[in-house]
Amino acid sequence: MPTLTVNGNAVDTNADPQTPLLWVLREHLGLTGTKFGCGVGSCGACTIHLDGEATFACQVPLEAAVGHKITTIEGLSPNGDHPLQRAWIAEQTPQCGYCQSGQIMRAAALLAANPKPSREDIIDGMAPNLCRCGTYPRIARAIERAAQEG
Amino acid sequence: MTYHKPNLSRRAFLATSGALSVAVLGGGLVSVFRDAAEAQDLGRSEINAWVSIARNGRVAIRYTSGEMGQGVSTSLPLVLAEELDADWSMVDALQVDQGPPATFGNPLINNILYTAGSLSIAGYFDRMRRAGATARRVLVHSAAASWRVPVGEVTTEPGFVVHGRSRRRMSFGEVVALPQLVTDVPAITDADLKPREQWRLIGSDVGRLDVPEKARGAITYSIDVRLPGMVYAAQLLAPVEGETPTVTTDTDARAVPGVVDIIPLRNAVAVVAETWEAALAARELLKVEWSNTSPFRSTDSAAELKELAAAAADPAREAFPWETRGDARAALRSSARVISADYSTEYVYHAQMEPLAAVAAVDADGKGAEVWLGTQSQTVSIGIAAAVLQTTPDRIRFHAMQMGGGFGRRTFFARDLLRDALLISKQLKRPVKLMWTREDDVKNGWFRPATAHRLEAALDSNGDVTAWRHRVVSASILAFAMPDNWAKANNRDFLVMEGAESADYAIPNLIAEHVIADRRTRVAAWRGIGWGPNMFARECFIDELAAAANADPVAFRRRLLRNNERGLRVLDAVVAISKFGTAPQGRAHGLSFAGYKETRAAGVAEVSVDGEGRVRVHRFWAAVDPGVAVHPNNLLAQVEGGIIFGLSGLLQERITIAGGEVQQSNFYDYEPLRIGDIPQIEVQIVESGAAPTGAGEIGVPMTGAAVANAIFALTGRRQRQMPFGQVRS
Repeated sequence: MPTLTVNGNAVDTNADPQTPLLWVLREHLGLTGTKFGCGVGSCGACTIHLDGEATFACQVPLEAAVGHKITTIEGLSPNGDHPLQRAWIAEQTPQCGYCQSGQIMRAAALLAANPKPSREDIIDGMAPNLCRCGTYPRIARAIERAAQEG
Repeated sequence: MTYHKPNLSRRAFLATSGALSVAVLGGGLVSVFRDAAEAQDLGRSEINAWVSIARNGRVAIRYTSGEMGQGVSTSLPLVLAEELDADWSMVDALQVDQGPPATFGNPLINNILYTAGSLSIAGYFDRMRRAGATARRVLVHSAAASWRVPVGEVTTEPGFVVHGRSRRRMSFGEVVALPQLVTDVPAITDADLKPREQWRLIGSDVGRLDVPEKARGAITYSIDVRLPGMVYAAQLLAPVEGETPTVTTDTDARAVPGVVDIIPLRNAVAVVAETWEAALAARELLKVEWSNTSPFRSTDSAAELKELAAAAADPAREAFPWETRGDARAALRSSARVISADYSTEYVYHAQMEPLAAVAAVDADGKGAEVWLGTQSQTVSIGIAAAVLQTTPDRIRFHAMQMGGGFGRRTFFARDLLRDALLISKQLKRPVKLMWTREDDVKNGWFRPATAHRLEAALDSNGDVTAWRHRVVSASILAFAMPDNWAKANNRDFLVMEGAESADYAIPNLIAEHVIADRRTRVAAWRGIGWGPNMFARECFIDELAAAANADPVAFRRRLLRNNERGLRVLDAVVAISKFGTAPQGRAHGLSFAGYKETRAAGVAEVSVDGEGRVRVHRFWAAVDPGVAVHPNNLLAQVEGGIIFGLSGLLQERITIAGGEVQQSNFYDYEPLRIGDIPQIEVQIVESGAAPTGAGEIGVPMTGAAVANAIFALTGRRQRQMPFGQVRS
């Protein structure tokens, strides 16, 4: 039975080793903050961190995630108060909210690698993640705010 | 293994808590309920159908419209809280899952629980104000009775009832803890409502109540629901609308570990398994032969575009009038100078980020169910569920879930998806989560129909428009989506035609008419409804007329708006903030006057075109007059989002159909705009103080012509066929 390290906890799962990590997180472990949008790595709604790297959970088989540190939106910060989450509230970024976990996880990896990104860095870094409501202007502003306020 | 129950505590179970009765709103007396078991647990008093107050002072305000991102879960309670004089920090918003339409229905949508057309604020504004004022009156009268002072001496401050003369005050929580509440209060009249200058919540920028949870990924959408004993269902759906499975070979599929059953349905074969991944794996192994008699097999979207254009050009084709002013036909016939142009749009897909899903748990007797659904109409969905189970609506325990985007897609989808989830759950006697993959969602989309437009106008020697004809050719959305309404609609399809009446423009002779084309695929409203295509065609044509009259686009529109103060104000505002006509070298500006229903709006796009003909929108300005901006920061967000949605459609979205099959599959071949594609956007709110109107759709209709007109200004090439992200010569 594969053991995963999710948000700092060791968790067992009986899912088939080929199962995309997305379904393991959502349906087996109940971590539904990670969303299903496309299943083919085209929308970013399922973005998580694998050893700190922004990764499409839909593109990682369970067996490939074993032994790596998995972080989901539920584990990004202890109290939901990561600087990006605070900035997301300050900028009133979400509309329907469905893509926002993935956006925040992508942005968190971006800031971890590049704490003071330019607007161009943000545009490039956030390109994999779709938002159909059109919250992009506020996503960019929230990332800039988080970078500034830390 | 863990499981997660959806967050039910925040929801109002109005139909199941039978002790609640219905308050009389807008007249008569208000009942006060103190007997619901749930209410007693919380020390909570139901003041009326919309408000309950707990002894700790928390105020729960119900809202009916479904939250799909447009912000109603904040803006509707905000309106009620204003008149209640609630302390906003003490307010909780509760989604109404179901309840009597007479109380909760939207008066602008046949008095049912239905969320569409940017009609929530417009439909509920007055009702929420009166509900809040009535609840406040109950508190004031109760406190006055307790203090034994005249009611007229008692007033409120946020969260408190106050008697100034004796300097006594009680929190709302203390009032509801009184031994007796005065329920017999006079009805609220218009004069009892707060005058606008006393508003402190309406028009303020409180934070959206749903945003903190959305920043933590903590909101439960229907696709997230997990129940004990639940099975998962995937569907192999018919490749063409109207086909049905005839032979199903499922031996290999059934051999997949975890598969529970394979169930043929009307338009699909369902694969049910203990896990979602098993259901998907088994679906791959399923071999299904489909009937091949559907008339939709012949659908070819490219051929259809030609048919629509031909119908637009054929005066002999029957057209149903949508709007008639004066005698446009005679005026066009007798005019010395008639200009005409043709426009078209193609099928577009909603691409809401949450693929469709339905969760259902049918009762053991098969005559009732609990349902979790992200739907734009509780009433319609409950009705469908009751019909499927051949039961009565009171047997459906319904949860109206937060939607991962709607945009028109979630109005009637339950017709198929909810039906199938119920049938599967009933047959297997287990709760079921039926999910569509993105490919299922694209290939079984209900698209905004392709349209063709012929515009004709007569110009007199002063350059004034004396006659106008706007002929729209399109399948009827209403006929497909709402057949009962269509039967009574006298061939008037507002979902296609609205906007074509061009009511803001002073044109003495006008006809707008609808040639109803055969429906070739599933169709639905799309953000902006008919205003999107109709304003694209109209506002491009206005620029063509202005050019023919040697007038500039601003002056030409100002003359047409000479009787329309609200229209002039947004036009002038957007011209001012954009410094229209002063685009930097290599770019150009385009203008569009295009609101949505009663909301007036105008937009300016700043555009460049690269050496390969690719269009880039660098900046976009909009001015909007929603009457009253109830929640301004959210209004800005909605307009920004609508502009991006509109730009995405006009630049690069297109569904094509061949042999009845949708040719796109997923976001790699139907790709909405990404963050790097969007312009810098600036929105100005121009409040007229008229009755408040909606926000969700305003941004879309202005985009098409603003960009097309900018491309013309830059390149001299008219863009009459949407999409046009690649410039057409």
